Amino acid sequence: MRLLGAGIAMGLGALGPGIGIGILGYGAMQALGRNPEARGPILTNMMIAIAFTEAIAIYALIVAIILAIL
Amino acid sequence: MPKLGLKGKVVIGALVFLILVFIGALFFPVPQPEVHLSANYGGPSPEPFYKLGPIYITNTLIAAWLSILLLIGFFYLATRKMKLIPKGLQNIAETIIEIMLNFVDEVAGKENGRKFFPIVATIFLYVFINALMGLLPFFSVIGRFHTGTSDTLMQTLIHTFIPSLSPSLGQYSGPIIDVPLFRPANTDINLPLMLALVSFFSVEYWGVTSLSLRHYLSKFLRFQQLSQGLGQLVRGKIKPALGAILFGILDVFVGALESLAELVRILSFTFRLFGNMTAGEILLLMIAFLTPWMIGVIFYGLEAFLGFVQAFIFAVLTLVFATMAVAPHESEP
Repeated sequence: MRLLGAGIAMGLGALGPGIGIGILGYGAMQALGRNPEARGPILTNMMIAIAFTEAIAIYALIVAIILAIL
Repeated sequence: MPKLGLKGKVVIGALVFLILVFIGALFFPVPQPEVHLSANYGGPSPEPFYKLGPIYITNTLIAAWLSILLLIGFFYLATRKMKLIPKGLQNIAETIIEIMLNFVDEVAGKENGRKFFPIVATIFLYVFINALMGLLPFFSVIGRFHTGTSDTLMQTLIHTFIPSLSPSLGQYSGPIIDVPLFRPANTDINLPLMLALVSFFSVEYWGVTSLSLRHYLSKFLRFQQLSQGLGQLVRGKIKPALGAILFGILDVFVGALESLAELVRILSFTFRLFGNMTAGEILLLMIAFLTPWMIGVIFYGLEAFLGFVQAFIFAVLTLVFATMAVAPHESEP
């Protein structure tokens, strides 16, 4: 049961950040297409925002690892 | 021999590759990795090599010491005989420092950038060098071992499809690591926790020293509008007092939320770095177990890139929060 919980935790926990990172990429591509000169700041800010959303998926991964191992 | 076209060459190349993979998985197996979250592969709490009072000497601590020695040694050698026109090691060190300083100045402004630069650059370099050193060949493979056997994927596959062969074909037998001597330092939860605490206290310290203590705390303890409303209530103006009291309570709530967000930052920093690095280590071990030869080198590149990205994110987030903390904010009218 614990292992099932670990699998469900990681699986459901990766839905939100996946969609979120996709939306971020969409916005960054649009901004890059409108203004190719501002490539540096756009990419830097995109990486920062992606790190924020990816952290949520990492929290789910920690819960899954703790359920499966400890 | 008939001349082979492109299609023939591709087919023969794929066949040779498959045969090599088969031979590698069959005759050169790798033991199944054990996944542990604690530092010295202990249970819920690590069992250190040596206990120096309250300090646990674990394998991640030894790896952290190695990266400290590497950084100090590199910068010491680079600044020994400094010339005005840099050459060699001094040139490399100056390039690194200049790139980071330009970036920090771009985000935080000139004078604030110079104030924030040492801690932000140290955080970036330390996390990056820790992440890269975890990929060196002697990490996670030298240590206390016992000789044993371990089932491999190829063995179970062969046993399922051809049950008549001996069940130990493709099994790994040899030294299996109990406790490695070196382990990537970022996989111990204490190091990201330490860096998150350093970042948090540095941001608070810079905020309090650039704005006065009262001004800085007024971002979190916003009792101004509530006290205004209560004063109006006492003086007898009921209608504006009710509105001011309502918004005053909302303001207090917003201040509490802001302070909670500051504290949750510690947890978020810790788990972001720890989760990324531990997941990367587990991924590398699993890929080395599942695929033979050096097919897993692609994931090495991914790990190195992820180490850089996580170090960059840690440093940039510290910088951005520090810039937000020292910016003077207007008080409510």
